[in-house]
Amino acid sequence: MNNVTENLRKTAAKLLQDQEVKMVIGYGAGSEAVRTQPLFITSPEDAEKLVWNPFCVNGLTKYLSDLKGFDGKIAVVVKGCDSRGIYRLTQDNIVSRDQVVVLGIPCAGQMSYQKLAAKMDVSGQLTDVEEKGENLEIKTSKGNFTVKKSEVLLDKCALCENHNPVVADHLIGDKLDIAPKPDDYEEIKKYEAMSTEEKAKFWLSQFERCIRCYACRNTCPGCTCRECVFDTIKPDWVGKEINVSENELFHLTRAMHLAGRCVDCGECDRVCPMDIPIRLLNKKLLKDCKELFEMATPGSSEEGGSVLGQYRLEDPEEFM
Amino acid sequence: MANKSIKKDQVKGLLDKLAESNQLIAPIQSEGITLFKPVKSGEGVVLDCQNALVPPKDFFFPQSEKMFTYDISDPSWAITPVEGVPNRVLFGARPCDVKSILLLDKVFDAEFRDDYYLDKRNKTTIVALSCNDARHTCFCGAFGISPGEAEGADILLTDLGDRYLAEVLTEKGEALVSSCANLFTDDDGNGPAAKEKAVAPAKEKQMQISLEGVKEKLDNMFDHPIWDTESLRCIGCGTCTFVCPTCHCFDIVDFNNQSSIGYRYRCADSCQFANFTRAAGGHQPRPTKKERIRQRFLHKLRYFVDRYGDFGCVGCGRCLEKCPVNLDIAQIINKVKEVG
Repeated sequence: MNNVTENLRKTAAKLLQDQEVKMVIGYGAGSEAVRTQPLFITSPEDAEKLVWNPFCVNGLTKYLSDLKGFDGKIAVVVKGCDSRGIYRLTQDNIVSRDQVVVLGIPCAGQMSYQKLAAKMDVSGQLTDVEEKGENLEIKTSKGNFTVKKSEVLLDKCALCENHNPVVADHLIGDKLDIAPKPDDYEEIKKYEAMSTEEKAKFWLSQFERCIRCYACRNTCPGCTCRECVFDTIKPDWVGKEINVSENELFHLTRAMHLAGRCVDCGECDRVCPMDIPIRLLNKKLLKDCKELFEMATPGSSEEGGSVLGQYRLEDPEEFM
Repeated sequence: MANKSIKKDQVKGLLDKLAESNQLIAPIQSEGITLFKPVKSGEGVVLDCQNALVPPKDFFFPQSEKMFTYDISDPSWAITPVEGVPNRVLFGARPCDVKSILLLDKVFDAEFRDDYYLDKRNKTTIVALSCNDARHTCFCGAFGISPGEAEGADILLTDLGDRYLAEVLTEKGEALVSSCANLFTDDDGNGPAAKEKAVAPAKEKQMQISLEGVKEKLDNMFDHPIWDTESLRCIGCGTCTFVCPTCHCFDIVDFNNQSSIGYRYRCADSCQFANFTRAAGGHQPRPTKKERIRQRFLHKLRYFVDRYGDFGCVGCGRCLEKCPVNLDIAQIINKVKEVG
């Protein structure tokens, strides 16, 4: 067991023991070696079930919105990217900061289940995982495997802005001294350079696959409307019919609703069962908002809110 | 009909020929994603790949389907049914997905006969393909399905290296083979034994899950706390139901764009959505994720058995692979067996 897991279990058990919180949301062992699953514990004894390893891909902050009205404080485990979701939720008045205890874990990068499954037999149970230089040594009940980290890293982790959480009431593990790699938006520039027709062709072929499961919306810490426009029956702004036109309306509306608010945690992209590159849309909006309004990545600090919901005299207005 | 055999280099010719007089539906790959699509020829069809991301269910029970058009300004409402489908060949369906179609038959071809489904079902010849390998999420064996059998298909192909063994299972299958007789040869008699060898890895590699006693146990687990704990991590998306080859719940909606002319369509709906069971007046019999995931698992593993004598799952593994929070039906089955 690694030190972080040990510290995490101790901290969680103490918080529950001292009744400082009534629930801890973290990661537990998954059904396959390189997966974990969100875990909700309410008794100190269950702290033993918490794990920390390079397969803790899920963002957990959205559960705070689901658990609105929960009787008591909740502690939640966050990585750097997820930690921005905490401020998203507090700035949107979805959760109150004093009701949340943030357990921040510095993170060097998380590994993609899809990429790992293509390289090794993932069907066993994880017994140990160790980082050795550029490699990850994964020991499972089905055998031991060595994979190169850079080959199985989640795409988003290659351009990580916050290896250390932006907020943590308890920092579990040592701060990482890895220089952040701010996104230079090279990938977005590639799409910006396309003609309107090319862009339409690319995106419509992506949206055509959408099965409208709404996983991207449901996992998003910025999607917390009391009634989502896509669930409204009357008026039916977006029809339930699955076709490229309704799908396009869904995706563009979803993205625009997050303009200036998306914390760029990449969960929408990870959860999409149809491998639609949803994050590109959010990235484009992030780039535009940063260029137009000198905005930091939303959720980077406690103060803020929605840049498009604010007004400054110096805001650009070339379009007026 | 005796077993046939077709050389691998003849398959494209077979597909080209089939596409001439049928709508041909076959797996194709684009951007690394395998999906069943209508194709005009054998060009681009991939058979030596893992199963498609979503099942071929869509060609029998489309996720969205127009039912009829209307004009309410007309005294008779001018209801015009949509045209049926042409004759079709579904090529390369895997044994789990073929079994799922037999399960859908139990729903759509029962006391109430669903014409929309049956039109497509009756006009489709199914050419199945045995599995030579299993994904890490496969567990069809738990439901008595074999990677080398495909009851419900019209022809079953098995990859034997340089050729496919073609087992002709029905009259529809015979008709298909007869229409392309020059591309097939009679099997030399070694086919069945070679097939057993070819599909052995798929049998061995897949998850070994036993369903013994699970249904009986679930009969008394409606109020079990397992649903409270397992539902906490569910994010209420529809991924599991939409990638499922047996899920078949749908909604019926009119689209009229504020005019007298419109159409009625039905579209797949998901029991995991909060508004799935919301009734007029706002009553919600499944108000939380707990009731919704319980419904999904009990429907597959208990209610379907009660109603149709078979499990409503085929072990294709799509939902457990795609669930963003690792809510894994194979793990649930094992947990059900363990809990008190």
